[in-house]
Amino acid sequence: MTAATPINRPGDRPQKRRTPLAVRGEPMLWLTGMALTASIVMIVALLAAVLLNGFATFWPRDIHEVRLSDGRMFLGVPTREESYDPGVDRLAELRERGADLPPGSLDEEELPVRRLYRVGNKEVRGQPFEWVDLLSIESVSFPEDAVLLERTQWGVWLGVPEAVLLKEEKIVPPGAPLEGTTETPYGERRFEREIIEETDAGVRVVERVWVAESTEETWEALPAMHADAAARRAELLRLNKHEVGYINLRLERARLAVRTAEINHDRGRIDDAALARARAEFESRSAELQAEYDELLGTIRAKAAIDDRYRIIVRDPGTGAIAPRAQTEPDEPLLISQIVRYVRANSLGAGGRVGVYLDRWWEFLATDPREANTEGGVFPVIFGTVMMTILLSIVVVPLGVIAALYLREYAKQGVVISAVRIAINNLAGVPSIVYGVFGLGFFCYTLGAWVDNGPTNPWPMGLWILGGFGTIAIMVGAAFVSHIGRPKPGRPVGSRDRILGWAAGGLWIAAVALVIALVTYAPFFGGFFPARTTFGTKGILWSALTLALLTLPVVVVATEEAITSVPGSLRQGSYGCGASKWQTVRRIILPGALPGVMTGMILAIARGAGEVAPLMLVGAVKLAPELPFETHFPYLHLERSFMHLGFHIYDVGFQSPDSEAARPVVWTTTFLLIVVVVALNLAAIGLRARLRKRAAGGAF
Amino acid sequence: MTQVTPTPREPVKVEPIQPEPTRDTPTHAAPAPSRPIGSPQRQPAAAAVEYAIIDAIRRGETPAACVHDAARAEDHVLNVQNFNLWYGAAQALFNLNFEITRGKVTALIGPSGCGKSTFLRSINRLNDLILGVRTGGELILNGSPVYAPDVDVIDLRKRMGMVFQKSNPFPMSIFENVVYPLRIDGERRKSVLRDACERALRGAAIWDEVKDRLNESGTSLSGGQQQRLCIARAIAADPEVLLMDEPCSALDPIATLKIEELINEIGQRFTVVIVTHNMQQAARVSDYTAFMYLGRLVEFGPTAEIFQNPLLPETEQYVTGRFG
Repeated sequence: MTAATPINRPGDRPQKRRTPLAVRGEPMLWLTGMALTASIVMIVALLAAVLLNGFATFWPRDIHEVRLSDGRMFLGVPTREESYDPGVDRLAELRERGADLPPGSLDEEELPVRRLYRVGNKEVRGQPFEWVDLLSIESVSFPEDAVLLERTQWGVWLGVPEAVLLKEEKIVPPGAPLEGTTETPYGERRFEREIIEETDAGVRVVERVWVAESTEETWEALPAMHADAAARRAELLRLNKHEVGYINLRLERARLAVRTAEINHDRGRIDDAALARARAEFESRSAELQAEYDELLGTIRAKAAIDDRYRIIVRDPGTGAIAPRAQTEPDEPLLISQIVRYVRANSLGAGGRVGVYLDRWWEFLATDPREANTEGGVFPVIFGTVMMTILLSIVVVPLGVIAALYLREYAKQGVVISAVRIAINNLAGVPSIVYGVFGLGFFCYTLGAWVDNGPTNPWPMGLWILGGFGTIAIMVGAAFVSHIGRPKPGRPVGSRDRILGWAAGGLWIAAVALVIALVTYAPFFGGFFPARTTFGTKGILWSALTLALLTLPVVVVATEEAITSVPGSLRQGSYGCGASKWQTVRRIILPGALPGVMTGMILAIARGAGEVAPLMLVGAVKLAPELPFETHFPYLHLERSFMHLGFHIYDVGFQSPDSEAARPVVWTTTFLLIVVVVALNLAAIGLRARLRKRAAGGAF
Repeated sequence: MTQVTPTPREPVKVEPIQPEPTRDTPTHAAPAPSRPIGSPQRQPAAAAVEYAIIDAIRRGETPAACVHDAARAEDHVLNVQNFNLWYGAAQALFNLNFEITRGKVTALIGPSGCGKSTFLRSINRLNDLILGVRTGGELILNGSPVYAPDVDVIDLRKRMGMVFQKSNPFPMSIFENVVYPLRIDGERRKSVLRDACERALRGAAIWDEVKDRLNESGTSLSGGQQQRLCIARAIAADPEVLLMDEPCSALDPIATLKIEELINEIGQRFTVVIVTHNMQQAARVSDYTAFMYLGRLVEFGPTAEIFQNPLLPETEQYVTGRFG
């Protein structure tokens, strides 16, 4: 190639070596790919663990009849296996035996394996779980008749059913037969009577009517009897919970009314006659309610007595004990209505197992928890979580949108606004427990106490009225100053405008502070619930407000971005049509920003629904007996504390007396929390898609 | 008024050259007296002599504008009196004095940054939205001052319609787009809105294309249709003056043609002020033309005069594309 050649032909340029790897950026591609893969693997692994364990929990497993080499025998459901270190001596002994051991009893590291059995029967065994070394197992069989009873109390019972009977203490006329047959709802059956004592009224006997006298007969009779028993249990629960609860509620209201009257009387607001009237009213009302209660109680007792007759004998073959009605009465057979579900696992086919599985899921989703939350369902927990999240979004979205609108559309962009914006963004980084502390101190103990009792040290009426006039005066002044201080278009902003602007801002702040003070110290306000702490403690409303505060930055930032992304040409067009600023905001900017606002809401929900730490302080509890929503007036009880899935996971997993029994519930609850968050998100995403479509389709 | 109105699409003799934007920033440009304006290769001589006014403007002076007698209308919509405008410290409009005739189309031409759009946006005070803009002098719209302290800007803007460079239909239905000015004025009666919508869409020559899809989004239309929709929106509230800011600059030639026809039609009923970059367009659609340079009005007169027989040589150079 000569320097004179003006045109490059192929081959003119010197052959260079290939472009180096670093220049082409190949390693960066690998690096980014690896980072993404690592993230995905971690997320998928977590989800898979939660899904597998969450789904496996409710599957009915076989019941083993285990005979140990020391002669003991028990029924148990295998839970999991692990290898363990049995100590130096035992290990040495095992190593010596080596080849004699049955295959599979040692793992790869030559450690013995043990298996955890759920043995239930807490009343007689004490521990519901038992570790068994595989080497100590003589034989395992799968008895057809073994049954796992899920009871309303004391966990599961494993045993073999022997008989079903109607047991009753009654007085019969002297000379009545001690044996014979009688009519039962399940056909004519043999009865026998055992005399306790003879009295003047007759002979007091224990009567046992045998509905089923063998295991086979029991299996036949049980389904129908259990269905009846479940209906009786549901009815009793309804009476005890709702009917009694409703009477109590009205009684409590009457009591509160008279207490309020007393407080008002002490404060000099009502006279003696009014107080006397209130007291008389209370007397008559409570007498009325007491009568109603007594009647109800009679009904409940009668129904309970009937329910008490239906018994089942289920014997634990290991100890020979029968499932008792209560721990203190080991000889009284279990009530059939105490059985939530019986699973004859070993003789269930695939269809039957699926049935049990689905039934357990349904129970989990739709019923209240039992036994320190380790059994039963999580319905109130789901309800509390969803309701709190909805409340939170109802609060945070309007607040965040309004704040963002002012920041973006109305405020003059400058140092102050930048500082405010940075401060809002930094709020997102404050540890959530700090919000919890703030919520407890401000919402529960300050705002809540004010709602309950009114101001603690109200201003004298004169001062308050004076303050009211002062506030109005300051507001008028502020409005005037803002009016004359507003920069005129077409004229430069002078120092006078600036000073007036600051003065107007200061006056507005003073006016707002005064209004808050006037409300806080209003002398005529005595609180809405002076007789009982209602809002002055943990509650779902305060939780929602605390989390709204926590998620506010997310919404503000997302909304600001959405507002900024509305094209300037649309604003200009709107102003050009003669729209005012607010009309432009309302008709052009807000609809355009709505999808972005929804994105903010989705992020807020994702953050808020999974938050636990602040809720421990401001509202979530281990067991909330009543939902924050009920079917009689006033329906919503925002002051009530509630149960929350995140807190439930912590509580069941780490605060439970029976951690082994709680384990499965933790997995399923975690799974459920993920499902709830995903469902709420999907709902919001769906809403956003709808809004987008509406915006595009123009069906405004 | 006796001046000749150029017949639409029968262009006056104009060289088909798009003026290039000037390189030197015009607002507060220091004059470059050593370099003659225009293209020196074509007109090497005589440049320095002919461009006396332009040179004066470049030096920062504000020579009196050359306004044709025929453009001094008696029946004017807008009277511009010593109008000045500053962006902060930089002055963008200098002492403008002219009148916009009622029922005619007035075109503003001039190189980029000469203040055409700024002036247009001063008429409906859209410049108020920009921080630090201040004005001097006065604009009188149908007898009422635009910049008096007690003017209600919202109400003022309702008296005008504006069409922008880039079509900006709102993300609503076609119907709602058109009736937007009425809606914000508080009109709720369906019948009134429907009538206004049809009238405006017919006026913007788009009724036949959209009458069956009034509920579809305005953004689903093609570019030219969108711009005509915006024109419909601008005329929906019967404005006293219609402001058009380069309405065709983002459109293809066919859509441009349609809009130009439309402007000719609209010009029969409304007073139109149109800013354009395109010399032929100004010649085709307007009755009067104002040539602006660096914030000053250079020459203003009937379009035929400006294009065929301008009083100033620099105007001739500009409209024939030899300088700009």
